[in-house]
Amino acid sequence: MKGLWRKGAALAAGAASLAMVVTGCSPAAPNGSGNSSGGNVTVTVRLWDDQVQKAYDASFKQFESQNPGITVKTVLEPYSTYFDKLRTDVSGGNADDIFWISGSYFAPYADNENLMAIGSDFDSEKAGWVPAAVDQYTRNGKLWGVPQLTDGGIAVYYNKDMLAKAGVDPANLSWNPADPSKDTFLKAAQKLTLDAKGHTADDPAFDPNHIVQYGFNASQDLQAIYYNFIGSNGGAFQDGENFVFASDKSAQAIQYIVDLINKYHVSPSAADTNDNGDFMRDAFIQGKVAMFESGTYNLKNVSDGAKFGWSIAPMPAGPDGRVSVVNNIIAAGNAKTAHKDATTKVLQWLGSADGARFIGSEGAAVPAVTAAQSSYNEYWKSQNVDASQFAKAAQGKTIGAPIGSNYGAAFNAWKPIFNEIFLGRTPVKEGLQKAQDAANAAMKQ
Amino acid sequence: MASRLARREAGIGYLLLTPSLFGILAFLVFPILVVIWLSLNSWDLLSPARFIGLRNFTTVFADPAFLRSMLVTVLFVLMVIPLQTALGLLAAVLLSRGLPGSALLRVVYVIPWICAPLALGVVWKWIFAPTGGALNAVLGGTTPWLSDPLLALPAVATVSIWSQVGYVALFFTAGLAAIPEQVTDAARIDGANAWQVFWQVKLPLLRPTMFFVLVTGIISSFQAFDSIYALTPNGGPQGTTDVIATRIYGEAFQTFNLGRASVMALVLFVVLVAVTLAQQFYFRKRITYDLS
Amino acid sequence: MTSPKDTPEATAETDADATTELGAVAKGEPDAAAMEEDTADFPLAEPALRTTRAGRLEARRPSSRPSRTRLGLNLLSYLVLAAGFVLTVAPFILSVMTAFKTPGQFASEPALNPPSPVTVENFITLFTGERNFWAPIAVTAQLVLVVVVGQLGFSVLAAYAFARIQFRLRDVLFWGYLGTMMVPQVVTVIPLYTIFSQLGLRNTFWALVLPFVFGSPYAIFLLREYFRAIPEDLISAARLDGAGTLRILWSIVIPLSRPILATLTIITVVSHWNNFLWPLIITSGRTWQTVTVATAALQSQYNGNWTLVMAATTIALAPLLVLFAIFQKNIISSIAITGFK
Repeated sequence: MKGLWRKGAALAAGAASLAMVVTGCSPAAPNGSGNSSGGNVTVTVRLWDDQVQKAYDASFKQFESQNPGITVKTVLEPYSTYFDKLRTDVSGGNADDIFWISGSYFAPYADNENLMAIGSDFDSEKAGWVPAAVDQYTRNGKLWGVPQLTDGGIAVYYNKDMLAKAGVDPANLSWNPADPSKDTFLKAAQKLTLDAKGHTADDPAFDPNHIVQYGFNASQDLQAIYYNFIGSNGGAFQDGENFVFASDKSAQAIQYIVDLINKYHVSPSAADTNDNGDFMRDAFIQGKVAMFESGTYNLKNVSDGAKFGWSIAPMPAGPDGRVSVVNNIIAAGNAKTAHKDATTKVLQWLGSADGARFIGSEGAAVPAVTAAQSSYNEYWKSQNVDASQFAKAAQGKTIGAPIGSNYGAAFNAWKPIFNEIFLGRTPVKEGLQKAQDAANAAMKQ
Repeated sequence: MASRLARREAGIGYLLLTPSLFGILAFLVFPILVVIWLSLNSWDLLSPARFIGLRNFTTVFADPAFLRSMLVTVLFVLMVIPLQTALGLLAAVLLSRGLPGSALLRVVYVIPWICAPLALGVVWKWIFAPTGGALNAVLGGTTPWLSDPLLALPAVATVSIWSQVGYVALFFTAGLAAIPEQVTDAARIDGANAWQVFWQVKLPLLRPTMFFVLVTGIISSFQAFDSIYALTPNGGPQGTTDVIATRIYGEAFQTFNLGRASVMALVLFVVLVAVTLAQQFYFRKRITYDLS
Repeated sequence: MTSPKDTPEATAETDADATTELGAVAKGEPDAAAMEEDTADFPLAEPALRTTRAGRLEARRPSSRPSRTRLGLNLLSYLVLAAGFVLTVAPFILSVMTAFKTPGQFASEPALNPPSPVTVENFITLFTGERNFWAPIAVTAQLVLVVVVGQLGFSVLAAYAFARIQFRLRDVLFWGYLGTMMVPQVVTVIPLYTIFSQLGLRNTFWALVLPFVFGSPYAIFLLREYFRAIPEDLISAARLDGAGTLRILWSIVIPLSRPILATLTIITVVSHWNNFLWPLIITSGRTWQTVTVATAALQSQYNGNWTLVMAATTIALAPLLVLFAIFQKNIISSIAITGFK
């Protein structure tokens, strides 16, 4: 018995030491050493979109052939944790040489000089970039990255059959919170909302407890819904870094959206949509929603998933016309990079029409380099989709995307209150005031 | 002679502790010291840390959201621990009776605990969804389980209990299996029925297991985060599922206010120490170990 | 099928202290397999079995209650167990169903619909192509192996010291160990990240392993409880025979603790297999991605990719289930000592 244990012990010790020695191998380890082998410099680029990563890899192959001595590697970090990791990595000095940033999060990095300022080396390219993107990322008088993606503006995907059946033409709808006689949008949405017995929402016999088809996707969606409604009503969300969404015109717009949900029932209850960003998109793709206001980021999803005839129309016009938010993504250079020259060269490539062309060619996203955008439109044309509405919206009136040094904190402060507003549990004006105060307090921390 | 032996004993004791002591000092104690230091500073990871003394403490204790989250956490723990312990014990008892299929059931019950929380959170979200969710499909109606201030915390607690019962049953199974047969037989021969055997013989013998299960269960449910965050990412309706761990995560990784997050973590620490000491007092008198 | 033998039990231990020893010492625990075999023959018989290391003896205790109540109780037990089974398994059915759906079906139909057609394309995607799961599985398996070996080994040493050796700082140190469990990982992660970053160990295998390999307060706590419950007589008998402290650990304490060691092994494997926050923060890119991080990486900004995520979760679950099925017998099986020789 003891002998057995001794053998067992020897075995265990042997296994342990073997484990210590042999393990630590990863099948995914990159071949060869990473850096400076004979003057070769490696620049790493961090991003979160795997479709664009494929485009980048193709793009960088061309770059490398034109720039021997520089190797470019892309690193994909999942979006859900991208900004947590970016913060800790920048803080620890471990960030990649180039990384993507989105508007809501970039201010603290700019303020703390973690990013390379885009200076005179890029003057020749600047004119070719989407102006809204340049504005969005100019802070303290400097531009802090090379615009890479633009979301374009917001437009409305619609279900052709549903609209034909209801006799609705989506091209010229307008909404008006003050004057119902001018509100063609609400009437259309009501006609497109059906209960189990086929009554439309404007029918007195309409049963809001058994809706089988919704007319619109009013919900607590900042980029797709409420930001644009506020802008289209002549209101504002922010004044500089100060939140002003409780002001009259903005509150009026929010009240209109909340009424769409809770009063007119043309959209599902906020209980379904408040914490589930996919709900409306899935409902549209499943053929349960007639009009779906959204951006280019859902184009691929809709195109892949929808089994019905669909098209894209401009968003409904408000009292102030059609005002859309245009969000953009930049590729920023790490101020602490060890290879400043090589990084600058890669950034210049990314900002050029040649380099950015790859982004659009698989329909992944709209490049923020205007000259390269044709690749995107061509791709979708080949798929029989006319994506021009998004570009048109971006060229019309726009409202700047939210910014701030403490944007994340502010968002977390207002979201729970907005949840209650959209659920109808808190009156709109009062709730917005509370949310605005909370957001401003959080921003100033 | 005796003291030399005792000193050699002590020496061996310290020697045995050395590797774990190193690990704990380097990778647990040191970070905790940093956390204490951070609680006196304002740091957002990007700008340099600024010393602000006790200001974080005053703002945290004056923050109604923080105080509410302590209350929510206590409610959560009160909902989860008794139920999960009782159900785990019940499962262990039933599975120790030797019914056919017990081995398979033991494996099945443990699946929720083995599964990574990411997917579970999402599946339960589908189950609780007001429109098209599995629960409402079975019960009818469109109850907004996760959006109703009265229902959200019980819903979240249910998921937590569901994922822990098998794990608790594991310990009780081992504990039950270790009860010597003679003890229960002796009791039965003395005329005790099954109920009395359970309550007066088996349960007291399970006290060490119960102590361990309760202490670790309470510590981990005070720190519960993953599934709560997955189900109600913004603190739930009117903050009713905003437990302290989600608050700390929010302060650390969304607001990036590490000073305040550290203060909250320290408060949690003090609470847990107090609770554990209380349990220690209660149990130590009632468990006897055969130690000389 | 063995038939029960009505032999008088062969008492494995010599002490009458069995009635006063409390705790989870493995003595005379019923053998699950034997129980099952027996009840298959005699479903209404009350299982009362014990085994010894040397062989299997079965003893039958006379049933002290009428068989009809027994049947009723069994049925009731089954009902409760079956309800538990359904509640436990239902969410998984949903998850596994989703893993077998095409992404197209998932997008265009409600989540509760069964897959049609049933497809393995998600699993194929996970094992072929650039973002395959082979590397994360290999990395996670290695890290779990190293952590389990190290953590268990060093925790046993520490727990033994706390449980059975007298030294001055014993209780203070133990409560210190326990206290470290009470600070949430969310805040300790950042200082830990800084340490590893300064040491140049960021994004390495050792960064994944080192914080855990030297022992865990949880494991030490658990083992200490069990070690404390080992009957003193066994230890004294060993000392009288001249065994030193370490020898006692090796030859008595560890063999007696097999069930709890098996339990602890499973717990350690599961918790490190599913660890998310630390591997996320300390690694970057594909090389050292663990299974949990790789699963999260399947999601993109605008698409949850739930069919892939559910397939990945199912794959991640499988080895743990197998491990558990193998180990659970160890947890239940008994080891009795035939006196110390």
